Amino acid sequence: MADARTGAAWPVWRGRLTDPAVPVLALVCGAVAAAWYAPILTWAIIGGLAGYSLSGSV
Amino acid sequence: MLGVFTAGLLLGGALSATVLWLASGLVTPVPEGWRAPAAIGVALLGVARDAGLIALRLPQNARQVPQDVLQRDLVRGALQFGFELGTGVRTYVSASLPYAAAVAVLLANDAGAALLTGVGFALGRAATPALRFASGTGEEWDDRLLDRLTLLSVGGGTALACALTLLALRG
Repeated sequence: MADARTGAAWPVWRGRLTDPAVPVLALVCGAVAAAWYAPILTWAIIGGLAGYSLSGSV
Repeated sequence: MLGVFTAGLLLGGALSATVLWLASGLVTPVPEGWRAPAAIGVALLGVARDAGLIALRLPQNARQVPQDVLQRDLVRGALQFGFELGTGVRTYVSASLPYAAAVAVLLANDAGAALLTGVGFALGRAATPALRFASGTGEEWDDRLLDRLTLLSVGGGTALACALTLLALRG
């Protein structure tokens, strides 16, 4: 059986799943959801957004 | 090596969070009712700055961690490199969001919030090399990152303002 990762579709999906925008979208949704349902976790997500916003800066 | 780097980031983030929490004692004279609006206002100012609507110089220690820390001893160097990046003070700060988050932590005057923000900051910084590695296309990923920088700063800042507003509304 061929490994699904060797198929032509895998690089496309890998590119989409690892797109630099993915963490931002996840954290944005997480920040709003956490603010409603788990306020203390909002701070961790705010920190995550702040850290990830420095991508490319060293 | 990414694990050691992340451990360094976490230590650095925890240190900065502790310093922010200790400094947050200085804002206790600020009436509680003013703190959330002030934090939201600063977040919105950051969004306006990152969107190019206003010009505002922010203090930063625009110095990179020297490359030779990785050449002397790889493991120790990765830990030191992570630690210094994790503090957020020995790096180029290319977005307003970290400043807005720091102000929000200062105004929150809450040890748990400070620590969680520090841990989140470290993990957010660790996400960049992890995702770049997972993509398997380093330079192409860098190009895509350049295209998304506005989304990272403006989108992230807007989310910060929304989250702070929701937190304030929930009390």
